[in-house]
Amino acid sequence: MSDQAVLPTTNDLEDIAGQVWAAFLDDGHEVVPSEDQQAPFDLSASVAIMGAFEGHVIVQCTTQASRDVASVLFEMPTEEVSEAEIGDALGELANVLGGNLKSMLPGPSTMSLPRVAETTHEHWPSTVEICRTVVTWRDEQFTLLLLSSDQQHRLERDVA
Amino acid sequence: MKILVADDSRVMRQIVIRTLRQAGFGDHDIVEAPDGAAAHSAIGEEKPDLVLSDWNMPGMTGIELLRAVRGAGNNVPFGFVTSETSDEMRRTAEAGGALFLIAKPFTAEMFRDNLSSILD
Repeated sequence: MSDQAVLPTTNDLEDIAGQVWAAFLDDGHEVVPSEDQQAPFDLSASVAIMGAFEGHVIVQCTTQASRDVASVLFEMPTEEVSEAEIGDALGELANVLGGNLKSMLPGPSTMSLPRVAETTHEHWPSTVEICRTVVTWRDEQFTLLLLSSDQQHRLERDVA
Repeated sequence: MKILVADDSRVMRQIVIRTLRQAGFGDHDIVEAPDGAAAHSAIGEEKPDLVLSDWNMPGMTGIELLRAVRGAGNNVPFGFVTSETSDEMRRTAEAGGALFLIAKPFTAEMFRDNLSSILD
């Protein structure tokens, strides 16, 4: 990968999140950058990007936040949302965020299908954080992350 | 007219169908397929007038579906609704015979702009 590649920033993450929420999760509540950038989470939805850029796009949130997302996307009461519907909804959120970020990354590359799991069962070894943000919607926080597996990015982090 | 919506995400199929309704295409018949292979079968059996397909699906991807359909001599109007929209993908889609590629997240206006000439 070129050292000169311009990678997405926190502002890009927030812009994409704003577009995704406005299009798919417009229930009258706006999504805004959170003042608290350390948010609790139980679940992680992620897609892997493979090719000229290697890394992961991750969405993390609490179980309650994921139920809210599924409730709005499926247009059904929160208490009726199933685990499968939560997985589908959160996975699709990661898929759309990942697809939009992928278009800003060096190519060509391919993107995996989304994976959703409890955060305690997930880790992404040998990666470095390229950008992250926490956004708030309906008083729930969502952490959005872009991680790189590129050796050069790890070296740059270690030097810094 | 009949529209086939192919996406491995049930919630995304619902969102696409909801957006079709919001765009003024709610009177058309909708058929759903949960992956590329099911979409391929549905195109033969249901004979849709338009196919809206995701790109990244397990088993048979959207572009593999399009190539299989065109390879069989079927010229059904076909468009992609996908979260990935690089220039390379647009070129590949066009070369494969797709009419358009709508990026997620999309709006009802984007559906109207791309589908009106086919469905109205």
